[in-house]
Amino acid sequence: MSEEMERLYQKRMSRYVAAMKKEKPDRVPIRPFAAEFAAKYAGYDNQEVTHDVDMAFDAILECARHFDWDATVGNMVYVWTGLTEAAGLNYYAIPGIDKPPSDAFQYVEPPDEESAFMKADEYDEFIADPTGFIANVWMPRANRYAVAPGEPNTAKNNLSWLKGGMAMLHYFNKFGAQIGRMRAETGTVHAIAGCLKAPFDILADKFRGFRQLCADIHRQPKKVLAACEALRPHMYFNAVAGADPTKTVPIAIWLHRGCTPFLSPKQFETFFWPTCKKIVEDLNAEGRQVLWYAEGDWNPNLKYIAELPAKSIVYHVDRADPFEVYEKVGHKFAISGGIPNDLLAYGTPDEVRARCKEVIDRVGKNGGYIMDAGAIMQDDSTIENVKAMTEFTVEYGVYR
Amino acid sequence: MPAKKAKKAIKPGVCFPWEEKVKEYPVILGDPKLVQKSWEELDSLAYLYLWFCIMQS
Repeated sequence: MSEEMERLYQKRMSRYVAAMKKEKPDRVPIRPFAAEFAAKYAGYDNQEVTHDVDMAFDAILECARHFDWDATVGNMVYVWTGLTEAAGLNYYAIPGIDKPPSDAFQYVEPPDEESAFMKADEYDEFIADPTGFIANVWMPRANRYAVAPGEPNTAKNNLSWLKGGMAMLHYFNKFGAQIGRMRAETGTVHAIAGCLKAPFDILADKFRGFRQLCADIHRQPKKVLAACEALRPHMYFNAVAGADPTKTVPIAIWLHRGCTPFLSPKQFETFFWPTCKKIVEDLNAEGRQVLWYAEGDWNPNLKYIAELPAKSIVYHVDRADPFEVYEKVGHKFAISGGIPNDLLAYGTPDEVRARCKEVIDRVGKNGGYIMDAGAIMQDDSTIENVKAMTEFTVEYGVYR
Repeated sequence: MPAKKAKKAIKPGVCFPWEEKVKEYPVILGDPKLVQKSWEELDSLAYLYLWFCIMQS
């Protein structure tokens, strides 16, 4: 690593960390999460970056070399479908297999009770031992090769366990090297470390399906609450297992369906919030910060989020009004995002610059703001608009 | 991996608790802590694999 590149890395890290602590750095840091956008920029199609993780890593490095981003993620096409196919996981639509190579991958949630990975009458078994449930009940349903205990074993079952585990280690090893390359070759900070989900989201996404869970909250609300509580220590453990040991960059919580219109504020308060809040509080007590990646519009829930300890989260704005977020919780938390993805896809560079100016002026005027798109950038974000967002922030975002 | 019928809560980071595994040994002639350490380290990787499948969207 050259000294010059290391100096750049340190400067960017200082800028990024200062903003996350609600301080005023030398300028507004830029931290886009480039998913399929990176493929487009680097000349790959979506099948290539989804199924070949080396191409995905190369695409990000290409972006990091040419855009003046302070921080990003080593691979934001976050499901490596080479791994999911090796393991036999059956809930992805994969570009080049199930979809045209130009499409992005898709998670296919079980739409009904029959296809749900966990049935309505299995709460007690799940609550008693979530890990055992995943291994013995969930995996045989979510994996086309796995067989349940007691069923005749198969070679494909054996191989799916072996290959899945090996693939995970392979991916993590490669990811570690990618973070090192980002630093050494481009001076770019890896923006996050560790993955957190709210227990309610996990229960919806991976066990019951959202439609079925919506019925459960009326038919068996105590079981839903107990399941969220059973998940809570596992969510915490997994978040910390992948977290930055230096506690410098935040753990990302990817928030799916706690907001309106999925849940009413009252349902959010009852089912989603208690366990989610406790996890963030526990992480904060350990000195860990969370990137609160509020997918959708979470502004109706801001009064709850304001209960979290100051600086425990960086509040990321997707489709919500960032100025209301700043007004309601800006005194407690740094804010990121607020540049709509549809603007990056369908707007003009002048419109992007105008939006960036408005957000910097009104949200970032005193520091504590990180420039970013509202959500991960897929291949509909245009290169000229992402350049406009980046170059305008480098120039206009300087604190004088 | 404990069978489906097992109902005892298992703490995060664990698939097959050492307390169960150790019952398989009539006696450990050397240092049991060494055996336990390796068992638990690799058991936690199995745990992480299971939950990795759950945590990634």
